Amino acid sequence: MTRRQLGLGVSTACVAAGLVLAGAGGWLRGPAADAAQRGAAAGGTAARAVAAANAFLGMLSPAERAKAAFPFDSPQRSNWSNLPSGVYVRNSLKLGDLTSAQRDAAMALMAIVLSRDGYQKAVDIMNADEYLKNNPARGRPGGGGRGAERGGATPPALAAAIVPAQNAAAPGAPQRGGGRGGTVFGKDEFFIAILGTPSASAPWMIQFGGHHLALNVTIAGASHALTPSLPAAQPATYTLDGRSIRPLGDENDKGFALINALDAKQQAQAILPSAVTDLVLGAGQDGRTIQPEGLLASAMNAKQQAMLLDLASEWVGILNDEGAAARMAELTSNLAKTYFAWSGPTTPGSVAYYRIQGPTVVIEYAPQKTVDHVHTIYRDPTNDYGARFVKP
Amino acid sequence: MTRGTAIIALLLLTAGLGRPARLDAHRLDEYLQAARIAIEKDRVTIELDLTPGVAVATSVLAAIDRDRDGAISDEEGERYARVVVDGLVLHVDGRRVPLALGARTVPAARDLTEGTGVLRLQASAELPAVSSGRHALFFRNVHRADVGVYLVNALVPADDRIEITRQHRDWLQHEATIEFQVGRSARPHEQLWSALAGLLVAGAVAALSVRRRHPVSKPQVG
Repeated sequence: MTRRQLGLGVSTACVAAGLVLAGAGGWLRGPAADAAQRGAAAGGTAARAVAAANAFLGMLSPAERAKAAFPFDSPQRSNWSNLPSGVYVRNSLKLGDLTSAQRDAAMALMAIVLSRDGYQKAVDIMNADEYLKNNPARGRPGGGGRGAERGGATPPALAAAIVPAQNAAAPGAPQRGGGRGGTVFGKDEFFIAILGTPSASAPWMIQFGGHHLALNVTIAGASHALTPSLPAAQPATYTLDGRSIRPLGDENDKGFALINALDAKQQAQAILPSAVTDLVLGAGQDGRTIQPEGLLASAMNAKQQAMLLDLASEWVGILNDEGAAARMAELTSNLAKTYFAWSGPTTPGSVAYYRIQGPTVVIEYAPQKTVDHVHTIYRDPTNDYGARFVKP
Repeated sequence: MTRGTAIIALLLLTAGLGRPARLDAHRLDEYLQAARIAIEKDRVTIELDLTPGVAVATSVLAAIDRDRDGAISDEEGERYARVVVDGLVLHVDGRRVPLALGARTVPAARDLTEGTGVLRLQASAELPAVSSGRHALFFRNVHRADVGVYLVNALVPADDRIEITRQHRDWLQHEATIEFQVGRSARPHEQLWSALAGLLVAGAVAALSVRRRHPVSKPQVG
């Protein structure tokens, strides 16, 4: 047996172990993540990801594979959004159309390419959407949704658009045609695509997302990129099995901690004198670099700089540990040229926007007029979709 | 950045208009209007994304679909785009500069009424050759101020002779003043570093040249 065969055998065994545990424990609760990441520790993440991706693709029928596999340079790479199914068509493979084993394999792949905390964040966002499906009032103005301060009346158009749970597509049922017919929420409405051929060296990409989640992971051997990605949440706080879940809680809390750690002079530079009401570089804004503004990190003390890096790590750290470490090193090396900007009140619990922008990073945190509905974006203007990994 | 790279960057900015616009937010009773301003030495280009929320989309569509047939024709889309662009205000160094409508992407009426349609417009203004030194651009958009929510941001200039030095907006981002500096060949601080680097290289070359002409003799032992 050659070393390559041994390596592949170990990889496959690890993935298989992950699938068994995922099936036994429920893939949304952690066992798949634990098993897959234990396997990841035994070898390079890229090799594990290749094995898991191939295992997943191997379980698909030709028709399913046609929805899941795209060329690396396919326009599918920019086909992501924070919008829900029913108003946005993702053109890839829906988890709700898969068997349990196939879904487990898809999530095992995500558990490998993401960190433990990153995988949990994705799961928490998916569970938030499931909660929203079962508690549609949380998505309406007056129920914690956008526009609550405008009187709380439910716009007739939105009330009609929220599909009651019993009308949601059953697993295996054909997707609603053309994205029409009303908004559909829930953990079944998340999609996966693989762009390019899973490879230990050549670049390939995993695209995973649904309502309030878009993860674009590019892998090129030991080089990994998670940009652009869009983690969002509504509701921003919900209860699951008796526990309070805040998918973007640390992003919120650390942001407020940082702005309040600045002195008056620093705050005067950081706080923009205008209302930033939404993401500037969200979906559809590939390739754009806005003029940075706010407070330069070089004007922060060491503790404040550490807080800034810790805040950025909430996005950077979604990626697997190998990729995240390299990325954090890059951000740290560019820290002096990194800006922190804020818009809105600084009192914790307020609706406030912030942005972190450096030579290789743009992070935005944008509540949608309520703290219960937050959109964020994570970009690298020099390496979105792993542009640097692709040799010309 | 070379001229070729700047041209490529501008083409990429323009090319973005040809792709279907992706809706980033699902607003309800607001009309989000996000402007991005690209400053070049002889031109200003404004890209404006207009996204009506589902609760205001009907009134926006009514302004576009003048024949009330439930569809947006090319002519209707262009007419509305011109109305929007004609309402924009652009001043450079205190003088109003006319904007010309360029490329545009107009969504289907149904996408608009569902709150997922994005109108993407591009408008540009030719500038007289901007001299080296400090300049200021003023931009205002108050289209549908009754329901409008605005964002305006300068893009990092593709031409590295141009440096944005300050952006100031009113609270609601109806208006923005962008101060910028035009250098001769590179940004001023980069010119200084280039000059210092050049001096160091020249000094090193000179030192090597002197050493070759006057090699140090080994001391005689004996």
